[in-house]
Amino acid sequence: MTNTEDCPVLAIENYSLDYETANGPYHALKTINLAIKRGEILGLVGESGSGKTSLAWSIMRYLPTNAREPGGKILLCGDNLLEKSERQMETFRGRRISMVFQDPSTSLNPTLSLGTQLSEVLVRHRGLTRQQAWKEGEALLAHVGLKTPAQMMHRMPHEASGGEKQRVVIASAFACNPQCIIFDEPTTALDVITSRQILDLFVELQAETGVASLYISHDLALVARTASRVAVIRRGGIVEQGSVREIFINPQQAYTRELIAAVPDPAHRLVKDDVVATDEPLVKVENVSVYFGRKPFFAALTGRKMDRVTGNNAINLVVNASEILGIVGESGSGKSTLAKAMTGLNRFEGRIWFDGREICSSSDMDNAYRKDVQIIFQHPDASLNPRQKISEILSRPLKLFGNATDLDKQIGDMLEQVRLPRTHANRYPHQLSGGEKQRVAIARAFASRPKLVICDEITSALDVSVQASVVELLLELQKASGTAYLFITHDLNLIRQIAHRIAVMYRGDLIEVVKADEIDNPDRADYTRRLIEAVPRAAAQYQ
Amino acid sequence: MIVYTLFVVSLIVFAITQILPADAAVMMLGENATKEALDALRQTMGLDAPVWQQYATWLWHVLQGNLGTSLRTGQPVGPAMFEALGRSLLLAVFSIGLMLILAVPLGIIAAIRRGKVADIVVSLVSYAGVALPEFVTATIAVLIFADWMKWLPPTGYVPLTENFVDGIVHLVLPVCVISIILIAHVSRMVRSELVDVLHTDYIRAARLKGISSGQVLRRHALRNALLPTITIVALDVGYLLGGVIVVEEIFAIPGIGRQLIVAIQARDLPAIQAGVLIMAATYSIVNFIADILYAWLDKRIQYD
Amino acid sequence: MTEFMKRLLKTPQGAIGILLVGLVMLVVVFGPMVAPHDPEALSPLSRYKGPSLSYWLGTDQYGRDIFSRLLIGARATVVMAVLATIAGTLIGALIGTASAFLGGRADELIMRTIDAVMSIPSLLFALLVVNLLGSSTINALIAVAIAFAPGMARITRSVALSVRKQDYVNAAIARGESSAYIIRREMLPNVVAPIIVEMTIRVSFAVMLFATLSFLGLGAQPPAAEWGLMVSEARRYMHLSAGILIWPSVAIAIVAVGFNLLGDGLRDALNPRT
Repeated sequence: MTNTEDCPVLAIENYSLDYETANGPYHALKTINLAIKRGEILGLVGESGSGKTSLAWSIMRYLPTNAREPGGKILLCGDNLLEKSERQMETFRGRRISMVFQDPSTSLNPTLSLGTQLSEVLVRHRGLTRQQAWKEGEALLAHVGLKTPAQMMHRMPHEASGGEKQRVVIASAFACNPQCIIFDEPTTALDVITSRQILDLFVELQAETGVASLYISHDLALVARTASRVAVIRRGGIVEQGSVREIFINPQQAYTRELIAAVPDPAHRLVKDDVVATDEPLVKVENVSVYFGRKPFFAALTGRKMDRVTGNNAINLVVNASEILGIVGESGSGKSTLAKAMTGLNRFEGRIWFDGREICSSSDMDNAYRKDVQIIFQHPDASLNPRQKISEILSRPLKLFGNATDLDKQIGDMLEQVRLPRTHANRYPHQLSGGEKQRVAIARAFASRPKLVICDEITSALDVSVQASVVELLLELQKASGTAYLFITHDLNLIRQIAHRIAVMYRGDLIEVVKADEIDNPDRADYTRRLIEAVPRAAAQYQ
Repeated sequence: MIVYTLFVVSLIVFAITQILPADAAVMMLGENATKEALDALRQTMGLDAPVWQQYATWLWHVLQGNLGTSLRTGQPVGPAMFEALGRSLLLAVFSIGLMLILAVPLGIIAAIRRGKVADIVVSLVSYAGVALPEFVTATIAVLIFADWMKWLPPTGYVPLTENFVDGIVHLVLPVCVISIILIAHVSRMVRSELVDVLHTDYIRAARLKGISSGQVLRRHALRNALLPTITIVALDVGYLLGGVIVVEEIFAIPGIGRQLIVAIQARDLPAIQAGVLIMAATYSIVNFIADILYAWLDKRIQYD
Repeated sequence: MTEFMKRLLKTPQGAIGILLVGLVMLVVVFGPMVAPHDPEALSPLSRYKGPSLSYWLGTDQYGRDIFSRLLIGARATVVMAVLATIAGTLIGALIGTASAFLGGRADELIMRTIDAVMSIPSLLFALLVVNLLGSSTINALIAVAIAFAPGMARITRSVALSVRKQDYVNAAIARGESSAYIIRREMLPNVVAPIIVEMTIRVSFAVMLFATLSFLGLGAQPPAAEWGLMVSEARRYMHLSAGILIWPSVAIAIVAVGFNLLGDGLRDALNPRT
């Protein structure tokens, strides 16, 4: 197991992977060649369905039963993993090669304490007794920056935060000093600030141990910050690989260029700052609060107390006509809660002024208000009824708000407006791709020619390149119709590109509203500064 | 919760028995009784009072532990019913025991060998298991094991305290018959729960930490998969109680099911009321215990 | 529709289920026409006969042709079970949807009450109802329907609630659609599928519940050719001829397995996303 500097720790040679399906074999990976040396971080970047996760399973030898491997080798320090038996692999996994997963809340067993799950690796691979493993586990947790390791060992997963859980997962991946670790989108499920801390921890541990790392991500900006080399994967094949600098400064392939261009760069503003703030704004949110929770019937009978959960705490906000107002914040900050309050989906206290009219509750939201205020949701899968054809979905706003004459032509026009073929009208949502579905949802929102469209994380379920084209479409529609947007997102780089002003929210409170180009100003609120610092800037240094 | 459940059940039971076209007084004194005698009896029994008052009186008595007097035997209903309940519970406990011994391993095997021969065999068995009502399986079982083979007695009940071996022998057929449908149902549930758990991220994560498949199954998967089984078994108790009624009738076991059938046929209102109330209470208590057990286990499930 | 059938037939459960249920339905429709003998004709000379060319499945304790009785009894057994299940489902769906729609305290009260009603075993519940109404086939039907309603109400409510939370319903509310439209066009098509699956599986329980009621003397009355009653009557004579007991049991089993498999097949075929 000794390896010299030039011999790669992990080498993948001409590796291919097929899945047997009812419609013949599906080529998931096509002649992959990759090598990672000791001390190196290789970033593997690709969009969903590109095969990046399949490659991780192949390396770990954890493949579904319909997987076939037509050829190639996966060498871990010279040992071809394809030739190892399951029993041998069990001794490798966790000891010589380990993995960190995307979502710590699902990759930890909810019914076992964190300590148990950490120490079982040590018992398994380092032959420690339970007591020794527990002691060692505490040391490991201290090493990954957890302040109270002894208590943390006894906690159950639901008693720890996402960041704490991911630290435990990382601790167990590093526990046996493996030669190679695969990181599969380890920060994607975490909030901005936490994810930055986890990333810093990763870089620190990696430098300390010199472990060869395969860092899988969909986020080029993130990979550019951490990795030394990058491989771009698309449809099961490596498109291009090289040092981060090479890839960013001089990308050889069109796809790589496209991918780099699609990464939101706050320095590159996509809108003009031409919105005039008037005394008569389009929307004025005045002291709007949202509370959740109701006394259950029997709790009321027995007089048990129940605390209300605050979703929004006295929010004051103004949106001008034709303005794009971004709302950013971590999960649970109340961004979507506010959006739902403004569309009558959440009960609220306080007042909303729209176009000079006063709205005090959802019953004040008449047909005219609903016509003018539209909402687009995050997951088009959930927001389009799976049992309705696109034509029926698009016909509803026309029937409610417009004129229902010549529906077919209008629906066709709407589809064309969002750059979809007219024939899609006859399809069901599940016959469309994610990006296409979101375009249908956009078309539905614009059918009534609204004055305000609330976009609730509408790009976060989409791939980078699809996101870029959806954003482009939204900006075009905005230019053409003068619609104002309330654009809710957690992607700071994106919102800095497209918003006129940005509202920062934290735990139900509105921290501040600032002009988009002044958000990195040093005299911003403390939380805003932390947020901005945590976000990896799209490798601006290379451009 | 149980209190509310039993309150609703008592209302239903009382409503149904009130609408029953049977006159308790006529039943006690016979068809030939004089009108005066009937009226006198009605008055002493409180049958001439408004319905809600009768209900209140009945409920008050029930709360004091007085379930009424049987119209058929003239004896207090309570002691007889509880004695019968004891015999039924014996039957039920044995059945649940047999079910757990067989259904859980079958479900686990089917889940681990998903799509393989063992899985198909188990699922065929479970489809067959739910295909026949208890009275048919019971009848066929008696035909085969008692009539043809002469291995087991066809019917009858011997208290375990009187002759333990004989008592067990008499219980074999009834217990097996009741268990069949439960086994089919529970093994399917165990299988589908375990298949779901085996596909979770944390099982994959455990496997990729190098924990062997056997250990992953024992430590990580089974605990989580078997937990919901507690709820399922508790809900199946309702089905079990229905099965007990039929099986006791066929095998002539003097349990609460048989008491109820007799009471229903004789329109013995206090006995019906008491029997249904006891059955519903049993079901509610079992489910209440299951809920508490579940909450307790879910929080602190641990291996040491 | 053809695409749907294809998907249904692709799973083994769906294919076998369709086959068995189709067979049963054929018997229900054409059975009485093709029955070779009068099901109620007694012939004391040919009692307890084994299967023969004239009596395909043999004869019973009164010399009646078992095969003919099964063909004719299919209507009494299967049609009743299907009707009772549909009735129970409708009652349950109504209560469940109303409960989900009302929400809040009304919902909680309705559901707690349903829980309470479900603590009475459904067989016992059916027994009580039949006893109240008097034993007859129609009353047995009502009893089974009432016994099924709470369970179906529970399922409908939980399905309706999960659909209610979907963003397409939120989108419709935000758009200002009427409640009637939301329930009819957005929710119902998504609620119906799982309920149909559950209903199909419950038909087999209904068949068994009916048979059990007949067995206990509270459903169909002799000399009806109801299958459960046939088993019940055969009990006293089974040591003379096992056939009188076995054949109706097999018939019940075919119906129960058939509807069970069909339900499982439908579950996969009705999922729009696979």
